[in-house]
Amino acid sequence: MHRKAVWIGLLLAFALVASACAGSGGDTTDTGAGDTTTTTAAATPAEPTTTTTVAPSPDFVGDSLEAGGCDYGGRVESIKALDEYTVEFNLCGPHPAFLAQIAFGVFGIQPKEHLEATGGSPLDNPIGTGPYALQEWVRGDSVVYTRNDNYYGQKAAAKTFVLKWATESAGRLIELQSGNADGMTFPGVEDIPTIEADPNLVVLDKPEPNIFYMGFTNTFAPWDNVDVRKAVAMGIDRQRIVDTFYSPGSETASQFTPCTVEDGCEGDSWYDFDPAAAKQLLADAGFPDGFKTKIYYRDVTRGYLPTPGNVAADIQAQLKANLNIDAEVVVMESGEFIQASTTGQLDGIHLLGWTGDYPHVTNFLDFHFAETNPQFGDPYPAIYEPLKTASEMASATEAAPLYEEANNAIKELVPMVPIAHAASSWAATANVKGAYAPPWGSSMFNFWDNGTDTLVFVQGAEPISLYCADESDGESLRACAQVVEALYSYTPTGEVQPQLATACEPNDELTVWTCSLRQGVVFHDGSAFDANDVVASFSAGLDASSPLHTGNSGVFDYYNYLWNGLINADG
Amino acid sequence: MVSKKTIEKLEMQAQEGNLLVGKPLSQWRLTVRRFRERKGGMVGLGIVTLLVLMAVFAPLISPYHPNEVLIGKEDVGPREKPCIHALGCDPEQPQHILGTDANVRDEFSRIVFGARVSLTLGFFTVTIALIVGTFFGAIAGYVGGWFDNLTMRIMDVILGFPSLLLALVIVSVLGPGLQNALIAIAVVSIPAYARVTRAQVLSIKETDFVAASLALGASGRQIVVRRVLPNALTPLVVLATLGVATAILEAAGLSFLGLGAQPPLAEWGTMLATERNNVFTSPHLVFFPGLMIMITVLGFNLMGDGLRDALDPSLNK
Repeated sequence: MHRKAVWIGLLLAFALVASACAGSGGDTTDTGAGDTTTTTAAATPAEPTTTTTVAPSPDFVGDSLEAGGCDYGGRVESIKALDEYTVEFNLCGPHPAFLAQIAFGVFGIQPKEHLEATGGSPLDNPIGTGPYALQEWVRGDSVVYTRNDNYYGQKAAAKTFVLKWATESAGRLIELQSGNADGMTFPGVEDIPTIEADPNLVVLDKPEPNIFYMGFTNTFAPWDNVDVRKAVAMGIDRQRIVDTFYSPGSETASQFTPCTVEDGCEGDSWYDFDPAAAKQLLADAGFPDGFKTKIYYRDVTRGYLPTPGNVAADIQAQLKANLNIDAEVVVMESGEFIQASTTGQLDGIHLLGWTGDYPHVTNFLDFHFAETNPQFGDPYPAIYEPLKTASEMASATEAAPLYEEANNAIKELVPMVPIAHAASSWAATANVKGAYAPPWGSSMFNFWDNGTDTLVFVQGAEPISLYCADESDGESLRACAQVVEALYSYTPTGEVQPQLATACEPNDELTVWTCSLRQGVVFHDGSAFDANDVVASFSAGLDASSPLHTGNSGVFDYYNYLWNGLINADG
Repeated sequence: MVSKKTIEKLEMQAQEGNLLVGKPLSQWRLTVRRFRERKGGMVGLGIVTLLVLMAVFAPLISPYHPNEVLIGKEDVGPREKPCIHALGCDPEQPQHILGTDANVRDEFSRIVFGARVSLTLGFFTVTIALIVGTFFGAIAGYVGGWFDNLTMRIMDVILGFPSLLLALVIVSVLGPGLQNALIAIAVVSIPAYARVTRAQVLSIKETDFVAASLALGASGRQIVVRRVLPNALTPLVVLATLGVATAILEAAGLSFLGLGAQPPLAEWGTMLATERNNVFTSPHLVFFPGLMIMITVLGFNLMGDGLRDALDPSLNK
């Protein structure tokens, strides 16, 4: 025993000495755990599109990201650090939703040095400017945060914030009822009366615009036949699904975009339920006896889909009863399902939904039906062309006819069947002051005050990673948002407000946006926030040839979709 | 002179007491008698009989088709509490003695039809495992040598994994579904049968009657099939009965994890899994499938224990 202890001690001492020696030779900036690359200086000059220009301020060297023109089809021509606290976004066309978009959490700003030190994938060690700094991610259990006492905004009430997760809503509710948690996402539809009856708990309405739909990928038979898709659209009793499986207040969808979003539900309403006509249509399309297919979904509760398994089973039963379609229900792992469905690899019906990230119709329609999105198979020009024109119009009223055209084309071509706009809610203990469930974006827990030193929130799943530039699920984004902030942000009621920028001013054509940055802001690692951090953070996500463009999966979904494609994507 | 009547009477007494004339009690009748003395075994047999009857006559017992969605057909909602008219439930309300599930299907009908799935699965897995296991076990035991070594090491490897874990792996490879779950569970239960058969064969092939058969020129196959296997049957029957219980439990486990029965098939494990989130709001939807799994497994285990006691000659009183 003794000898073993001595050996272990010696080993430890040796390890310490070795790490001390290695550390002294590398960079001076200590970025915490996970530095894999310490010599990044050589990497930056090799970057073809990032050129260094001399800015007016004498000792500040501003970086820039240049797309080298707009021929690549994307939105961004260049992003330049004009001086220490000014960044200029040069866009390829007018972009009225610019502010709403950059407020989105995936466009969070991290220190340039940190991105370089982690090789562009700070997956479990993000550094930001937010109200909480990451303390520890205990895999499989929780993410623990410590209050940022230097925060420039409203400092957090609780010194420690713990983000936990439980897949089952019943499990989350138990945490809440037992006093182990102060708030939770999405209680089960069945549990809401229980929460309302409990004097210690409150239901937080989450007025989020969302949509639950069943999508078809038109590169697979028989979904390449528009009449088959239309038959399914008419042969599903959507009202019955909403009445049976959704909370009161949910609506049967008339369009893909909810009417609460401006320009959202221009155009004709969706087909009425007509099983006889649907059956006829299917027979005319060559399937009088139905066919075999699959219904893919993930067993993850979302605001738009509170009971995935039951809804899938009901759609299965309806397809059989109304159209004689034999559908096999296939449950997939969440990440795998998202990957397969959004890249258009599922040969059956996929049950998916969408919760608005920011309050703009482009976030619903353009994200799903843009030319670059393979989710529904070969894109439909009749849908994406009016959308593209409309997205560059500054005035919502002017754009309305185009959205009407797009919505009518969606109805005609049926890339998916919109089913429900769900009413959704969170729950919290009654003693938490400032608890809120935002319509979009992430709830910021510095506003939540339970009167103690520790605040605990339970969500539905573990974050996939804590580098949200390359994530798209709400659980990851919520975990990131406490640490990493973007140039703008959303208020608890969903309005856009300046965050790391004090203001972003457009030119008259809405093509050039100049952002003045907040001065004197310090990252959690002690480094100062400046314009180069903004350029580096955007380059990491947007420039496919950047050495920092690593991320988690490397897909950078939102950068790709929201800026109409990545720069140097072919290279 | 003893009257003819008295003789007949004595004969009858003797027969009953197995003292004087007639054949001695057969092994089979002895077993039945011993089995009937064991209460546990009889309870198990009763449960299993009831379950089999329930499975066979499911369409007659259940008031609805198990997959029939009652939305729009009756005035019931999802996850309705049980309503039994005889127990004072409002006669206006449609009767669902175990309530309805989340998709507004009659829970009782689904439970009844669930017996079909579980029993079929139990019997089929055990049959497959029994046939394959006995085949390899018998050959390994009789032939010995490298074949014995090879077969038994493979069996040891399979046995080395926890059975449910190995079943999970097999289903993951084959893809989820009842058929694949059946195959997976059958595969993981093969070693038990193979080992038991081999052990039996090893001891029986040394007996005098086998030697006699050999002396008479019987072929290896004849000896194994005619002489050895019938005598090795006893422990296999017990093992198979207990094996049904394990198989049903493992199938329910796989279905609970979403790898076994797929919707809309009424399977107890799946039913339990889909409603696990509502254990507090709709306890009946979790309780009854769970109860059925428990009763079934208990029934087969009791019956198996009873059989073992009855078939074990060392326990002969």
